[in-house]
Amino acid sequence: MTMWPRRRWLGLSVVALVLVAVGSAAALAQPRGGSLVVQVPTEPPGLDLTASPASAIAAVVFYNAQEALVKVDRHGKLVPWLAERWYTTDSKNYTFFLRRGVHFHNGREMKAADVKYVLDRAVNPETKHPYRVQYEAIQDVIVKDESTISVTLKHPDATFLWTVARQGSVIYPREAVDTLKTQPIGTGPFVVSEWVRGDRIVLVKNKDYWQKGLPHLDKVTYRFIADPNSALAALKSGDVDVSGFGLGPESVDELKKDGRFQVILGDSTNDVTLSLNNSKKPYSDKQVRLAITHAINKEEVLRGAMFGHGKILGSNVDPLNPYFVDVSKRVPYDPAKAKKLLAEAGYPTGFDAVLKVAPQYYYTVRTAEVLVNQFAKVGIRAKIEQIEWGQWLSQVWKDANYDMSIIGHAEAWDIGNFANPKYYFRWDSADFQKLFKESEVTVDDKKRRELYVKMQQMLADEAPAVWLYMHPRLVAAKKGVTGIWKDLPVPSFDLSEVAWQK
Amino acid sequence: MRRYLLRRVAALLATLFFVSVLVFIVVHVLPGDPALIIIGPEGSPEAAARLRKAMGLDRPLPVQYADWVGHALRGDLGRSIQYDVPVTSLVLSRLQVTLPLTLLAGGFMVAAAVPLGVFAATRHRRLPDYVTMALSQLGVAVPGFWAGLLLILLFSVRLGWVQSGGFDGWGQGVWPAVKSLLLPAVALGFFQFAVLARTTRSAVLEVLREEYVKTARAKGVGETSVLFRHTLGNAMIPILTVAGIQLGQLMAGSIVLESVFYLPGLGRLALGAISARDLPVVQGVVLFVASMIVMINVAVDILYGVLDPRIRYE
Repeated sequence: MTMWPRRRWLGLSVVALVLVAVGSAAALAQPRGGSLVVQVPTEPPGLDLTASPASAIAAVVFYNAQEALVKVDRHGKLVPWLAERWYTTDSKNYTFFLRRGVHFHNGREMKAADVKYVLDRAVNPETKHPYRVQYEAIQDVIVKDESTISVTLKHPDATFLWTVARQGSVIYPREAVDTLKTQPIGTGPFVVSEWVRGDRIVLVKNKDYWQKGLPHLDKVTYRFIADPNSALAALKSGDVDVSGFGLGPESVDELKKDGRFQVILGDSTNDVTLSLNNSKKPYSDKQVRLAITHAINKEEVLRGAMFGHGKILGSNVDPLNPYFVDVSKRVPYDPAKAKKLLAEAGYPTGFDAVLKVAPQYYYTVRTAEVLVNQFAKVGIRAKIEQIEWGQWLSQVWKDANYDMSIIGHAEAWDIGNFANPKYYFRWDSADFQKLFKESEVTVDDKKRRELYVKMQQMLADEAPAVWLYMHPRLVAAKKGVTGIWKDLPVPSFDLSEVAWQK
Repeated sequence: MRRYLLRRVAALLATLFFVSVLVFIVVHVLPGDPALIIIGPEGSPEAAARLRKAMGLDRPLPVQYADWVGHALRGDLGRSIQYDVPVTSLVLSRLQVTLPLTLLAGGFMVAAAVPLGVFAATRHRRLPDYVTMALSQLGVAVPGFWAGLLLILLFSVRLGWVQSGGFDGWGQGVWPAVKSLLLPAVALGFFQFAVLARTTRSAVLEVLREEYVKTARAKGVGETSVLFRHTLGNAMIPILTVAGIQLGQLMAGSIVLESVFYLPGLGRLALGAISARDLPVVQGVVLFVASMIVMINVAVDILYGVLDPRIRYE
């Protein structure tokens, strides 16, 4: 990435910010504080963003209690955050200029030394950082002065700013490192004040937040309600104000008709994927994989499993990604062709397959049911096997002991999974690996985009997996709640701008 | 009596020992790796291996068991992997929901089932008997979670009398706390009520056929006295046995209803801990619930003697 496009982005986002500010000033006569009750389906397993990638932690902590040098804003753009600007000419040496006067919740001012501590700790293999791979490129972190820090990478990495923006890169004070799991101290607009295990987490306003005028809310209570029916009942009875995640798509129409609520349907980075075990027959045969893709009517899958909410995908890049292109038409629904390809590959009567899914994610089971039907029409006799999440992780993800599976890949910028032959798809393509490596070190944005387009096309044509649909971001809230993000480019539930409107 | 109690305590300890071995083996042979679950599909297997080592899960099983039991004997059940707080304090904090919920549901169960069962027995093969039995058939057939959802829809969403779930703690006052447990207690007790009502009915029916009841009636004893002095007391043994078993089942059955009403109870703690492979918590909760059930059984055994003086503990 060169300086020019970033400046242009910056310019654009400033314009956008002004527009948003003007627009909301007109619409939002009076943002009001008060308290808000938010439903989330899962209780976070601890509150340490640097210990686990669980999105349940990010939903509470990320952007609310803790922030990073760079922020991914509600439109999926990188914006300066705890670093007010940065500088690089080669995507190998980065200098970050920290915002001054930013204080942690414990009252101490954030300094460059804190940033160095955070990055060094992420690289250190002893700390068990779950994303350590992402930081492996870091060679050296040098504190220039109290608010300037420079990072040298081992090789140019065009995605490094995204790494710095991730939830694992939040800046916390060194002295609070041992209590991150229970008390995540950071610089964010809210402070975690109470965690009643199994019931709720309460955040209160950080009165000294560095952004003047924010947050609007005085208090936010997260309630953990796993059952979608109970969540709906809690919303309807008024016990929760916002249902953050976990309402089923079947509730959308009902809630839209109810004048008391607003339904927010947006995009996410969650690509629901039919994974195939490329190390195993018959999935190691490209013709078979293409036949499987041709056999799937994705529109019908989306209607059957998600009531039509979401977007059809053709490869492993989500619509929120700036390099997204629609390649879903390259291998269209064509059962006759699927049968022909199967016969050519030596399976004129089809084959048997086991489809392993984890019912913890309801959409995987529903999707599997639709797929099994479609497969039967071309002779693939698939059987659904429901396994518990912990077993899914060891059987499918770790040991690749499966034929087919379905899961949402929620990580943004995760196309590299297909360049890793050890990843559970077990797809080993030297051509793709070369393309990906090139994209990692290509600094020019235009060239990089071309590489990303090529990768998407190649994935669609080689079909190491079948990308079915983007899981929609679905939020239901009482009318009068404003400022909730429509799309979800990062797994956060940013409440800093949320308010009650008079 | 004292020797009996000593024997029971010894049996209790033996049971707990077996439970501890069993639960330890079960949670450790359970497929699924806690480190893998913490790291998740976006981390790397290497990170999971490092974490496994740090948690001491790479040590031989007997060593891990001895370590766990050694600490448990000193009242230390270990620390929760996901919450990073002592298991003992987690269990105790969840008890303030599960214990009152179980007792409340048990209270509903007994208060509704015993009178109805007696009533049905005295109207044997007549309309009230059939109505009562149909009602209890419904109770057996309706799953607790569904009954719970219906109650929420009626009393919270439509009428707005009580909250739809959640528990704000006893600090908010006794009545608000009890109020938030009312619906789940009713839903939880409904199924067990049905079973107990049927047991009561058949136990009372059986005693009513006894010769001494005939004798009492022949002597001109009033029907109320026949029922309460001569019959119910003697029918109490099977009723008590079933009620005791059910109290234990109520505790276990609260898992589902705690999820429906999102109550921070023991059941949800166990459920969450199993899916997160939070092994110390699973072990702690199972050990705790097992000892509670064993103690309820001891209490029932002792009550037998109180109710029926013919039973002696030698």
